[in-house]
Amino acid sequence: MSAATAASPWKNRRRRIFQSVFQTDVSGPATSYTHHDPFAFGSGAATATSDQQVIYDGAWHTVTARISLPPSATAEELFETLAPDSQQQSSSGEDVEFNQALDLLVHAPTVLPWATPRTDDIMAWHAQQVRAHFSHHVIPILTACVGEQQQQQQQQGDRNEPNMVVVMTSIKTLQAALGLYSHGLGLLMRGLSPAAASDSSTSSSGGAVGEAELVEARFRRDIHALVAISASEGLMASLRIVLVRLIGTVLGIPSADGGQRTGESQRPTARARPVPPTENDFLALAARRRLHELVEQLYNVGLAGERFQVLFAEIMDWMMSNFVSGAYGGVWAAASDARTFAAATDTISRNPAALSSTSPCILSLSDWIENHFARLSVEVLSRLSPSSSSPPVTLSDVKTYQSLALGRLAALRIAELFDIALAWPSSRGALDDLRATITTAPRRQQLTASFSRALQARLLHPGCSTLDILHTYIAIIHTLHALDHSKVMLGHVEPSLQLYLCQREDAIRIVVAGLLASPDEVRAARKATEAFKRQGERRQKDGDAGSSSRWKRAEGSGAALFATPAARSGRSTRTPGTRRLREATPESGSQSRTTTPRGDRDRDRPSAGPTKLVELALLLNDPSQTRRAQPADDEGLDWDDMSWVPDPVDAGANYKRPKSEDVIGTLISALGSEDVFIKEFTAVIAERLLGDPNRFDQELRLLELLKQRFGEAALQNCDVMIKDVLDSRRLDTVIRRMRQLQDHGRFEQQQQQQQQQQAPLMRTPAGPMAAYNNNNNRKKDEAEVAETQYHACILSRLFWPALDHEHFLLPPPIVDKQKQYEKAYKSLKSGRKLTWLNQLGQTRVELELRDRTVTVDCSTAEATVIYAFHDADAGEDAPPARRSADELYNQLQMDEDLIAAALSFWASKGVLRRAQQGEYVVAETLAAPGGGSWEQQQGTAGVPSDKNANNNNNNNNGKAPRRAGKTAGGGGGAGGGDAKEQERRAMYWQYIRGMLTNSSASMPLAQMAMMMKMLIADGFPWSNEELQEFLGEKIAGGEMEVVGGKYKLVKK
Amino acid sequence: MEDNQNSAPGSVPSGKLGGARKTADPGQNAAKRLQTELMMLMTSPAPGVSAFPSADGNLLSWRATIEGPDDTPYAGLTFKLSFEFPSNYPYAAPTVLFTTPIYHPNVDFSGRICLDILKDKWTAAYNIQTVLLSLQSLLGEPNNASPLNGEAAELWDKDPTLFKTKVMDRHKDVEED
Repeated sequence: MSAATAASPWKNRRRRIFQSVFQTDVSGPATSYTHHDPFAFGSGAATATSDQQVIYDGAWHTVTARISLPPSATAEELFETLAPDSQQQSSSGEDVEFNQALDLLVHAPTVLPWATPRTDDIMAWHAQQVRAHFSHHVIPILTACVGEQQQQQQQQGDRNEPNMVVVMTSIKTLQAALGLYSHGLGLLMRGLSPAAASDSSTSSSGGAVGEAELVEARFRRDIHALVAISASEGLMASLRIVLVRLIGTVLGIPSADGGQRTGESQRPTARARPVPPTENDFLALAARRRLHELVEQLYNVGLAGERFQVLFAEIMDWMMSNFVSGAYGGVWAAASDARTFAAATDTISRNPAALSSTSPCILSLSDWIENHFARLSVEVLSRLSPSSSSPPVTLSDVKTYQSLALGRLAALRIAELFDIALAWPSSRGALDDLRATITTAPRRQQLTASFSRALQARLLHPGCSTLDILHTYIAIIHTLHALDHSKVMLGHVEPSLQLYLCQREDAIRIVVAGLLASPDEVRAARKATEAFKRQGERRQKDGDAGSSSRWKRAEGSGAALFATPAARSGRSTRTPGTRRLREATPESGSQSRTTTPRGDRDRDRPSAGPTKLVELALLLNDPSQTRRAQPADDEGLDWDDMSWVPDPVDAGANYKRPKSEDVIGTLISALGSEDVFIKEFTAVIAERLLGDPNRFDQELRLLELLKQRFGEAALQNCDVMIKDVLDSRRLDTVIRRMRQLQDHGRFEQQQQQQQQQQAPLMRTPAGPMAAYNNNNNRKKDEAEVAETQYHACILSRLFWPALDHEHFLLPPPIVDKQKQYEKAYKSLKSGRKLTWLNQLGQTRVELELRDRTVTVDCSTAEATVIYAFHDADAGEDAPPARRSADELYNQLQMDEDLIAAALSFWASKGVLRRAQQGEYVVAETLAAPGGGSWEQQQGTAGVPSDKNANNNNNNNNGKAPRRAGKTAGGGGGAGGGDAKEQERRAMYWQYIRGMLTNSSASMPLAQMAMMMKMLIADGFPWSNEELQEFLGEKIAGGEMEVVGGKYKLVKK
Repeated sequence: MEDNQNSAPGSVPSGKLGGARKTADPGQNAAKRLQTELMMLMTSPAPGVSAFPSADGNLLSWRATIEGPDDTPYAGLTFKLSFEFPSNYPYAAPTVLFTTPIYHPNVDFSGRICLDILKDKWTAAYNIQTVLLSLQSLLGEPNNASPLNGEAAELWDKDPTLFKTKVMDRHKDVEED
């Protein structure tokens, strides 16, 4: 055997050829042969070994040549070679040869005992081939198609189709490759199986067949692992998108790119709400079928491994969150909305009884979980493990899903809770959800913590007015009480609110004013509430009770809240941040301009007037709100109370179960201690009693109600105060009668009718007395001698809140009156002393001016100021009295601010007119009402009679010189309105000149407008454009110029 | 804020009772008063003087202008001043400085003014306009008894011509921008 002698070099060469052909360095048999090589020369069996090895190698070559994979493959080739049949049809001769060779290899242990036979080798070699082929050819194809599609999708923008293409191409490629690989394997297996059959004589046939299956299964596992590991990120991303779309459609969740592809195509809104598809929703059915196919295909090519399952789980999780937040976010209606829950209603009856008492949201959510979510999970998971006998999703899994979904719903509601509270009472449905889902202590804690955060961020900041805070607080009390009757949650939330309210000095005043709201206001509020309810119903019927209406509500509130402060200019503290109360979204911002603010306020604030907490008055009269004092031993012993529940776990040690909602009680306790409230209440009551002592039914009623709350003793002061007022009325009558007897006819010269009331009295011998004057001036006939009527109200110092003593000099006639009153009082009640509180009185003043008589109810300070204009010595022709604030200051010793207030009060009544140098002049004549400026009228109409009540009775029918010159100047030519406008423009021009002279020589328009707005006390109504126009006129007139965008005055 | 929210029918504004006005933020009161004064200045301006809040919109800081009165060495000149108001204005005097350099017996070289009504004689009855008018008259009638600028006080009587020259030398229009 020459071949044998030359075996070594030859075989080495052959091995090299082998390797070059198959591009593999795994050549098990050949390698092992070389190891044997040195042996071959040394042993007797060398020849046999060599021969057998040659035969073995030949067989090896035959087999490997047959099952080797195409060395280079493009996608097309891959698909072509794929056609499994074409390979089957290879010539029978080859087949036979192959089978023989394979046989030889498989049975090498027996047939060629010397040729280092290992059955595994051929399988391992094949696996290696497959791996190499996969990594060299298939993976590049996969990568290429993913990359290609990604490029396309970037260009096209449509995200679904390319992704679908990516997934499908990848699957096809993998299918082709796997077909190719299994073809080789199939050949091998065919060879192995007969071998096993022929083996059956020596070993049990079952064992051999089992081995073959084992080998094949191992190969499949390997190849699937290979595919799974090599799946690229791009492919998985595409797969995710495809799955999200399909699953979203199946579950009824609109995909992110709008609803037009999904079942909700009839909904035009971009923010379509998720709706579970009905049984015959064509699109959903198609998607479901498509999804099934896809999953099966994925499973077949090995892509349904762990990564796919993780992906699927993630998507399902995301879908659940999406569905919950999409379908229920902002849906708080208590009644089930006909459209949103239409799909759910027919299946509700099938729901577990445990949920029967819960809200529509929960019902429909459970239904969705059971009939859509869980169903889909079953369908997908069962396709992932078709062989497994146990169901992939058990009933307990479904329960877990449901509780998970309820958790999501709870989280959603918790996040929304602040808005829910604001929307009270139309948000009861949401509270039902919360009550049903907040079952554990951690969740309660989460709720209170999150709500407290929302409070801090949205309510408790300087931008919210106290009134807003109180409104919201009341809503919060309602809301949290509805959520948790035990009030423990409220207790957790309240502290920060209370702390903050304590910083608001006006809080108590607002509450008391709300409590004292008049019946009229209460009626109005009721009406508003009803209107609101009707509106709410209508809104619900309008469909889509979901997002759009919610946004509308939010917008409306924004507009309303802005409108309110704008109406009262100057309350700058309210304006800036009010909007933050509702989170302003771009949407609401843009739309609020188009909605009318009218009515929105009512909608937003159902039961409240804009300035008062009228709802408190409503609540005060609501019997269910009163705190019933129950004997302590009744607690928990009411065996018939079927709604009894144990105390919440997070209740404190001293927890006492409240019996009612008790908004007022909660509110009052939030404002500090009862003492503080009562003190403030007393102050307010005092104010009201002094203001209008004739009518205090409202106060009495409130007092009675508050007594039930706080007890008699706490409100004793108020009782005394009311008694004081009543007593002094009686006393006043007595004193007046005495006085009439004594000094009838002594005060003729006081035709001017002013009455001051001051009467103080002290019940205790030592102290000064609070006094209160009640002046009623009755108009008397001119001829008749008019007496200034003078009434006093006598207050018990100890029981009234501390009242400031404001010093000023009363007009002498009034002082006389006071003295008389004091004397009379002393004679009635010896040992007591009166201290007059001059500033607290009410006065009716009758002023006789030249052309008119003015009767005004005003404060004593105002009356005193106008009296100072009274000029007893003035002749009939004297010019109108003229005083400056400084003169008055010296004359009356009155506080400057009071003087200024009084002057502007009279100016607003048209009695005084501001003149040059801060002086005020009595407007003896007035234009006819409805006419133009009075100055003009004054110039034209002769005003014959002037009687100035201030100027006292002595000026009868005098003709005062007219300030004709001024009149002509002021009124010149223009109508009344124009004259006013002219005046205003002149004033603005002064401002502008002052600004440009002093502040800065040149300023841009915006800054000027800003300064004007800030500096002019009555507001600056012009827009920037109007100002620009005005400045334009001035520029045209040569008074100003523009330099570099800034305006400046032309230097003269 | 209170007055609006308590305006129950027939009730007295709370300011009269509770003294809430007194407890209000003093800066607010000053700002209000200054706003009123501004309005008065604008509606009834006095000749030769004017004043306005500074351009940054701070009501407690004003700029003012005085025109030198005729028949004084300052005739034809304009002087800028700065007013800084304390938060308890008008119960305390504003700090007034000449920002335009001025040669005057009662004004030092950094613009500080010696005027009794701006110091111990201040009362709440004064206002910006009265201060400006007082300053304007001070230009014509310096108080040479207590000069801040001794040389000027001396020259005022001794050498009016030299005084006038010094005034013109010292005066410089400050152009702000």
